[in-house]
Amino acid sequence: MSRRIDRAALRGNYLSRRQWLGMLGVGTTVAIAGCSGGGDGGDDGESSGEAELGGDRGNEVDLGQEPPEVSGQYDDVQGSGFDTLNPIFNTESGAGAAIGYALDQGYTFDPDNDLFPLLYDVRTADNGKTWTIDIREGLQFSDPYGEFTADDFVFYVQEVHQAEWAPSANSGEWSGVTLSRVGEYEVEATLENANILWPETFTPLEYPIPRDLIEPYVEAEDVEGMQQDEELIELQFAGNLGAYTLDEWVRDGGTSYSRNDEYYLRQLAEANEEFRIFGSAPYFEAAEIEIIEEESSRIAALETGEADHVSLPPDRGDQFIDDDGTRVVLADTPFNNILSVNMRDNGWTAGPGNLFRITEFRQALAASINKPELIEGVYRGFHNPHYTWQPAFSEWFPGTDELTLWGNPDEGVYGAEARDLAEQALEQTDEGYSYDGDVLLGPNGDQVELQLYYNAASPTQELAAGFYAEEFEKHLGFALSTNAIDGTRFSEQYWSAEDVADPGVTAEYEGTEFVWETPTPNNPGPREFTSNEPWDFGTVFALNTYPLNPLSNEVFFDGQDVYNPVGYYPEFDAAGLFQQAREAEERAELQSIFEELFVNLNEEQPYIMLTFGVDIEGYNPDLVGPIGDFANGWNFPTWHFDA
Amino acid sequence: MGLARYIGARVIWAGVVSLIIVTITFLLLALAPNPSISEAATQAALQGGDPTEAVERQQELRGLDQPLHVRYLDFLEGVYTLNWGWSEQRSQPVIEALGEGIYYTAQYSIPWTVLTLSIGPLVGVYSAANMYSWRDHLATGFAFFGWAIPNFFFGIILLYIFGVWLQWVPIQYSTDVAVFSVANAKQLLLPVFVLVTGSIGAVMRVSRNESAEFQNATFMKTARAKGVSPTRAYAYHVMRPTMVPLSTTIVSQLLVIFLGSSLLVELVFGIPGLGRLTFDALLAQDTNLVLGSTLLFTFIAVVGNLIEDIVFTLLDPRISYDDR
Repeated sequence: MSRRIDRAALRGNYLSRRQWLGMLGVGTTVAIAGCSGGGDGGDDGESSGEAELGGDRGNEVDLGQEPPEVSGQYDDVQGSGFDTLNPIFNTESGAGAAIGYALDQGYTFDPDNDLFPLLYDVRTADNGKTWTIDIREGLQFSDPYGEFTADDFVFYVQEVHQAEWAPSANSGEWSGVTLSRVGEYEVEATLENANILWPETFTPLEYPIPRDLIEPYVEAEDVEGMQQDEELIELQFAGNLGAYTLDEWVRDGGTSYSRNDEYYLRQLAEANEEFRIFGSAPYFEAAEIEIIEEESSRIAALETGEADHVSLPPDRGDQFIDDDGTRVVLADTPFNNILSVNMRDNGWTAGPGNLFRITEFRQALAASINKPELIEGVYRGFHNPHYTWQPAFSEWFPGTDELTLWGNPDEGVYGAEARDLAEQALEQTDEGYSYDGDVLLGPNGDQVELQLYYNAASPTQELAAGFYAEEFEKHLGFALSTNAIDGTRFSEQYWSAEDVADPGVTAEYEGTEFVWETPTPNNPGPREFTSNEPWDFGTVFALNTYPLNPLSNEVFFDGQDVYNPVGYYPEFDAAGLFQQAREAEERAELQSIFEELFVNLNEEQPYIMLTFGVDIEGYNPDLVGPIGDFANGWNFPTWHFDA
Repeated sequence: MGLARYIGARVIWAGVVSLIIVTITFLLLALAPNPSISEAATQAALQGGDPTEAVERQQELRGLDQPLHVRYLDFLEGVYTLNWGWSEQRSQPVIEALGEGIYYTAQYSIPWTVLTLSIGPLVGVYSAANMYSWRDHLATGFAFFGWAIPNFFFGIILLYIFGVWLQWVPIQYSTDVAVFSVANAKQLLLPVFVLVTGSIGAVMRVSRNESAEFQNATFMKTARAKGVSPTRAYAYHVMRPTMVPLSTTIVSQLLVIFLGSSLLVELVFGIPGLGRLTFDALLAQDTNLVLGSTLLFTFIAVVGNLIEDIVFTLLDPRISYDDR
């Protein structure tokens, strides 16, 4: 868990497998994120030359239709290569997509957020304490490994993930889970604490790995051997467990696949008319992932029709939306853009006290930034406003009626009201801060000046930082000096601490006692434990909001968990709400708990919430399948070219 | 000293140089903090484990608990038996990774080198023979243009014109096509052109200036007086002495360009060659692969210098083996 969150902060650089699954919300197939639940299905389906923020479902595959004709080659283009295709050790999203063509995982989620069983179903009969994993029959590994059964599953989890010797991608994820084989195709998992969102945590989501293949390595505790095994790296054992068969992996060049005639999901069509389209799946003769690191070359490949899919940068989005030769799908994401404020003792470098600790001041910050203008001016319209720690497409989003719309000039709190909030904050401190006209003065009589750090590699962050500086000066009267910084340096010197408190240390904030059982560099202890360098604002890191499993957000907001670089301690009972959520027995119960949680986070603005990112995906207009949805790609084996 | 003894001495010297470089590389590696060890410590701390124990375990796993001289001898043995370890970043043995990189790089670097070496001196000498004529100005302009325009930018522009607009060449580099095929020639046309224009300028200018020095030399006057044709006079009497100083320029320049320019060109054209391999290995802190690429380039440089020394003596018999 802790590892996942730490790497969430470094998104794009290095992610645990859970992390990218959590981020993408898809269990298999292509690595393209979209939105969920926002779909109105009302798009015209003629999306050439059009695109819509959120919910473009017009090009969706009809699962009940007759199998289409098999034709052509699907060419995907990615910007970076893969470290490994070994499913046991892979932790990267790009490689996950490459593996997904040839090897399915246990299940995925459809656009309605319902679990869609692939290799197996996961269900509970006792409100999340005990789960049954039902494996399909007829899942065949390549020779000589035979059928995928409960025995393979249990052996893999117990002897690799739950064993201490093997640093697999899912090590630690299975701690506290007791597995037992209850039948040839049935596994029972008993959780330490009940969790009705267990499948959404992606813990039970596994690749099928043959026991006979890994057993020698397990017996010898040979990590290197298992990491370097050619059959694992080249997915030679995949049998009928993937839509395509991996033919070749050229490092830095990409992967190529041919159609798998034996794909197991074809059995779906026999069993259920609703899934007739799976009858002859998949529908491309071949598939390829090409690695082109240079962005303009990738885009050129889409322009000339050599590629069927390329992710587009925001500054090229409009051009392709207007282009009839490309279908652009805009897919909402759960990744936010936030302004982090340092509430620890080395934050607020403008003088004594730390106004960031006062909720009204954080509200003032949120209210002083015009979100629609930020989205239009900096993100070219390709972002969504961010008010609480869930995107609007999440089933746990409380609805805008319940929230204060900070920074929304038309329907929310903005401008002059930001100044009122700042003055309320000043009344709560006796450090000598005051307003002289439009200027916020410090105790020494000079204008308050604060520092903001943004990622030197991001022109967008630089542009946004300039906008924040203008808005703060205009509405709150303090000066903001913006500084470019290398992401790694910020992470090491500002975002984490070397000096970590002793385990068990306690502190009291706002009448609540917090205990640090295992302080970490990203939450080193009470506010007196700080990073090496002082800082005020940071925009270097964005975070995931975990719309499928909001319980994961506990690490950000309960104050004493592994991730709290900013030193935020909630003034509401966040820990209690998370505890209730863990114990909830029904989704309806969860709904009200999460509503209370997210309304409170909207009020407290522990991080100043600004926008949610949108993925701009460019596709071949003849391709049937891509949708503007968080679950985009969940049914990739049914994608096909329009005849 | 005879030619054979001279070459023998140079080869031994090349071996000593490579040993020194390998030793320095080993020492730098031994002194640098190992990222995988610090990562293991961080992970252990985050998961509530004991970081010290994790560090010890990692060191033991990687053989770092051995004394320095034992590690050095192991390292040397590995280097000279071509057991260069496993590349974490590519999931394949380092030797195999380098082999793959060379395979794709060679497909454009061989034509690039051949064209640079054949066209550059010829055009330079031609320019010198027609000094200050419009032909000379054209060749000089071309040389400066190729030298001045960044390969990276030039590549993108050409790709846009010939790939996107005219669609004469493919945008995506395909690894599926045969090496000796029209399709491969087509997809390598632009990278080779960009690299040749980038490197030919210096060769052309040096050979122009050097040959200008020789075209009025007394031996040229003698040759002309004896009725030698201009082509023969330039080919035999100007080109040969010109090539002596030029060989230094060519070897050093091609080595520099090999790493720098080929990386940029590989990035633009999506070629999975040696430049990208090295660059990605550096970014990913893939120690074994970085080390392997360092050694490879070291060996190329050492062998390049050796060839240069030998070529020197062959081109100009006046250079004595004893002085070198």
